[in-house]
Amino acid sequence: MGKTLFEKIWDAHIVVEKENSPSLIYIDRHLVHEVTSPQAFDGLRMNNRSVRRPDLTIATMDHNVPTNNRTLPILDQTSAVQIQTLEKNCKDFGIKLFDIHSSNQGIVHVIGPQLGITLPGSTIVCGDSHTSTHGAFGALAFGIGTSEVEHVLASQTLWLEKPMPFEIRVEGKRKNPYAVTAKDIILSIIKHIGTSGGNGTVIEYRGQGISDLSMEQRMTICNMSIEAGARAGLIASDEKTFEYLRGREYTPKNYESLVSLWRENLKTDHDAKFAKSFTLHIDDIAPQVSWGTNPGMTCDVTESVPFPEDYSKGDPNQKKGAEKALEYMALTPGTPITEIKIDRVFIGSCTNARLEDLIEASKVVKGKKLSPHVSAMVVPGSQMVKKQAEELGLDKIFTDANFEWRDSGCSMCLGMNPDILSPGERCASTSNRNFEGRQGTGGRTHLVSPVMAAAAAIAGHFVDVREMDLN
Amino acid sequence: MKGNVIKYERDNIDTDVIIPGQYLKVHDYAELALHAMEGLDPDFHSKVKEGDFILSGRNFGCGSSREHAPIALSHSGIKAVLALSFARIFYRNAVDGAFLLPIEIDFDAYSNISDGDELDIDIKTNEIKNLTKNKVYQMKPFSDIIGKIIESGGLFKYKPD
Repeated sequence: MGKTLFEKIWDAHIVVEKENSPSLIYIDRHLVHEVTSPQAFDGLRMNNRSVRRPDLTIATMDHNVPTNNRTLPILDQTSAVQIQTLEKNCKDFGIKLFDIHSSNQGIVHVIGPQLGITLPGSTIVCGDSHTSTHGAFGALAFGIGTSEVEHVLASQTLWLEKPMPFEIRVEGKRKNPYAVTAKDIILSIIKHIGTSGGNGTVIEYRGQGISDLSMEQRMTICNMSIEAGARAGLIASDEKTFEYLRGREYTPKNYESLVSLWRENLKTDHDAKFAKSFTLHIDDIAPQVSWGTNPGMTCDVTESVPFPEDYSKGDPNQKKGAEKALEYMALTPGTPITEIKIDRVFIGSCTNARLEDLIEASKVVKGKKLSPHVSAMVVPGSQMVKKQAEELGLDKIFTDANFEWRDSGCSMCLGMNPDILSPGERCASTSNRNFEGRQGTGGRTHLVSPVMAAAAAIAGHFVDVREMDLN
Repeated sequence: MKGNVIKYERDNIDTDVIIPGQYLKVHDYAELALHAMEGLDPDFHSKVKEGDFILSGRNFGCGSSREHAPIALSHSGIKAVLALSFARIFYRNAVDGAFLLPIEIDFDAYSNISDGDELDIDIKTNEIKNLTKNKVYQMKPFSDIIGKIIESGGLFKYKPD
């Protein structure tokens, strides 16, 4: 019987495997940031261990860096300490660091692909759940905790249980690809399979609806695999993948010979079996807006806030969850989504802050002004994305419309730096999690695509971006 | 292992409510514990006692990879979380650092156990005794690797056979 792409990558990285035992898996790339690494480095010091492969380890600071006034000292002392600690750890252990002043600084999942560090067929880990993003390149990439970070630093390996392969087919063609985006595809998938639908699996996204996507759109899909509970999400590499990585700063010197090998080997065999399968048809899907407090609580922009009994389909925990979510979100069932007014807009995060995201959002914003009661910020995914966007004049389009234009970082996606919502504020956000308090205590998050966030910023409430005139 | 249950009757308790992002800069575990479950239950810190268990629904610990989540619970006194299912990163973090035991239970046990019940959990026999209600439930046995890491006292003490 043939193998799935995931199984091929897994098998190629086994260091030790015994029946009924965990496997020791080799890790090709380890990405490190300031929040989940300090205790791991402390552990190495305590046990007199070194970093086994500093050459395969890359660090940046993204989670709590300020996104403005970077030439000034960091005001938040605990953030400053965490950032200085990463600098010291990288210096002590010989790890390449893109610090706050580096032109390569950015969200770790944006800079990996952009620098050519993320490669097809490789295993990639990081102490961050959205490491699944790198799966867009046909890599097996997943988030780990701090103990596992220490284990990888010390040994370049991990003890793992083998997940099951899960096929998600995305079939058909979107009628309005500018308005119905990769974000709407992945939110639709999570809405259908649920936030634990992928537990214990590695998802492979396949089908016409996936191969039609650009690399940056594929990253949005794989990024949110974790929101469906999956260990990782991946997409087989193709010519778009190879072209994206060609000629980047850290692309290997023997790249073309690697491409020949990848082209030959890195795909699921025709007779391979998946443990389970789900198909989404995208011909008629609408832009998505989340209404609740997990990414599965999502509906079409043309729908209304659901009644808990309809949402829960008889499951008492689901019903209770929906009631609590609506209370937290201060929403009344039956309210049309397009009547929900917003206070803030956040265009950013490892899900949707790449150049294409900013280009698409700018088309909606161009020549218009922010709704007077809304404040909005654009936080590019990396300093390189910021520079490229500025070369295209996108910063001017956004600032002319009264958006703030910031430096890169995780920012308001997770509320670790000063970019947070105030209690009760309602935000249209291009990020990945609408959990209670995620963007700041008492803040209310609605997950949307960049074009939907931009349209809501102009209108002051959610609108169906398909109905906007974008010239 | 004996303790009392704090029950949260809901699914998808995420790591952002277990320990909100603003505390991920805190390195002192005792201070981290002061903010455990703050996003969901502001009274948690005042009611939790050393040795207590949390009981909850499906997909406990979904979201971020922050190991601060099991650390904050563990340093609040929580010895085990019983749930219908767990998100994988939380599950491994709990076990890898030997912070607490993630125990999967079935729907009957979940429905039958009430807030405040006293349980006696034996991971050798996979039995959960409800001392308050005088009932016995079976927990889902740990997989081979998880059992071995738990037995060793964490990932760094685990030595392969």
